Amino acid sequence: MNPLRPLTARIEDIKTEAEGVKTYTLSTKFPFRAEPGQFNMVGYPGVGEAPISLSAIMQDGSFKHTIKSVGRVTDFLKDFKKGDELFFRGPYGRGWPVKKAEKKDILIIAGGVGLAPLRPVIQTVLAQRESFGDVSLIYGARDEKNMLFMNEFNEWAEKTAVYLTVDEAVQPDRWKHHIGLVTDLIDRVKIKPERAIAFVCGPEIMMRFICRGLIIHGMSQSSLYVSLERRMKCGIAQCGHCQHSGLFVCKDGPVFSYKEVRGLPDGVL
Amino acid sequence: MTGERTFQKFKRLIPKKAFLLWLDSLKKDYKLIGPVKTGNHAVFKEVDSSEELFMEYGTTMLSPGKLFLYKPNEELFRFAMNGKITIDEIAPIAEKQVIVGVHPCDVNAILYLDRIFLRTFKDTHYEARRKNTVIISLNCARVSENCFCSSVGAGPFLHAASGYDMLLTDFENEYLVEIKSREAEELFGLEGRVAGRDEMRVKAEKEKSMQGKFTKTINVSGLDNIFAENMEHPVWQQTAEEKCLSCANCVMVCPTCFCYDLRDEMSMDLKTVTRYRCFDACQDIRFAEVHGGNFRQRRAARLRQFVTHKLDQTNQYGVSATVGCGRCITWCPTGIDLTEITKEIQRYEPA
Repeated sequence: MNPLRPLTARIEDIKTEAEGVKTYTLSTKFPFRAEPGQFNMVGYPGVGEAPISLSAIMQDGSFKHTIKSVGRVTDFLKDFKKGDELFFRGPYGRGWPVKKAEKKDILIIAGGVGLAPLRPVIQTVLAQRESFGDVSLIYGARDEKNMLFMNEFNEWAEKTAVYLTVDEAVQPDRWKHHIGLVTDLIDRVKIKPERAIAFVCGPEIMMRFICRGLIIHGMSQSSLYVSLERRMKCGIAQCGHCQHSGLFVCKDGPVFSYKEVRGLPDGVL
Repeated sequence: MTGERTFQKFKRLIPKKAFLLWLDSLKKDYKLIGPVKTGNHAVFKEVDSSEELFMEYGTTMLSPGKLFLYKPNEELFRFAMNGKITIDEIAPIAEKQVIVGVHPCDVNAILYLDRIFLRTFKDTHYEARRKNTVIISLNCARVSENCFCSSVGAGPFLHAASGYDMLLTDFENEYLVEIKSREAEELFGLEGRVAGRDEMRVKAEKEKSMQGKFTKTINVSGLDNIFAENMEHPVWQQTAEEKCLSCANCVMVCPTCFCYDLRDEMSMDLKTVTRYRCFDACQDIRFAEVHGGNFRQRRAARLRQFVTHKLDQTNQYGVSATVGCGRCITWCPTGIDLTEITKEIQRYEPA
């Protein structure tokens, strides 16, 4: 079978998360298995495909994509209804090193829709809470309206420390959390560098400053992990679009240790 | 060498006429493809008879690998769009074919494409055609102006042990024929004259004499590090501003450039979508564009991507991506030469 052949998935549920962002719960004929941090090529005939990370991998074999409409494919998907079919292939890529994080303190740091590929990590942590040390989530968005998964924070906060920030609050009187950049919040977490591991996802410029900030806190480059975004057409290390120096972001990533990608040309890390 | 398979011992001298007649005899089962003279240059194309072949060619604009194995444009799927969408997977068109006269650089380029399309994820179309293709390589007897294969170990004589079928060396009225695959052994019925130690010495002398004819060279030792340290060297910006047109000729004629785009085309009656794959180029401004940014917005960054992907980044497949064919130099409308860019950067390095 041609590895570029897409499969169909049925939309079981659609939930609006934020402005222009929806979460699609999808099911297929066969149970879908994937690792946190992996992605699918999601699309529709006539429109094309785009790489979209998994925002949840469910026990029953269904999965979720949280998609912001910003391009040709994602704009097309926003009008889909429950019961419709869309097309996908995957999962592809190397995800977060969750096993490596066991027994360690985890810092989960996200900006904007960058929280989506980290949600499966949070769910794994919540399901096996005793396997991990201190877990902190630091999440920032432009404003409250652009924050994902807001109704899940309370549940997460029962078992992890949750720090939130917005660049600017739409309703400042109702916003009880920090206002400012995500990097501000790093100082609030007590980091024990020798037992900490960080998973970071957001705009590349944000990841640059987060990683550099964590290094100042004593963490090593190899204990920081980032998930990169690049244009992709195939997802299987053939089309060449995602090449980043000698790396294929689709196959060697999208999750890399900061050590692997720091300072590479045509990136800002 | 112990364990050498019998076919690898086949080294014989065959009169050229007899060899060409044998090629014609393959026509009943295979398409015959080879270099043909058109105007003042040569192109690889299908021929009706070996008489059309121009085995003395210097170089071609397009490599046989990217014409007959990895195709510029390939239909992959057809989606029927009425009601429940159904997918029709388009079967590979992979007629049996013999490509003769493939120079060592172009054989090495095919072996490079194998790394992309025949590893973890196998490309069904490429794989089917590769299986149905007999590759007969021809060691070079002339050096073209922009050839630098001898500097990168990809020519002018072929040293790859496998991955192709036969190797020819021009011996005036004869070809020294070396069999490199089981399939070639079964196909090749000519006896000829056994090439002994003397003939192999002549072959080595021919190779040595060819090595001395190159005018274009490049020193690839340590290039990975030298490039890594000179990503902001002024040569990138200067060449991009003064010469580069982002036309992507370099990528299109490159025998190892493998990038593709996937495109969907809706039929006029809106009933069918055809998804096809076509060559794409890192020189296109949209190539590395994502929402909210473009990782290679600058022309200098795109030029650097091409040059470093060819000459550096050996960590990608463990080999350099250049085969030294010089096509990107020949067909650059403004005369950009990656060997010159490299030398410019190396000049700043201590010897």
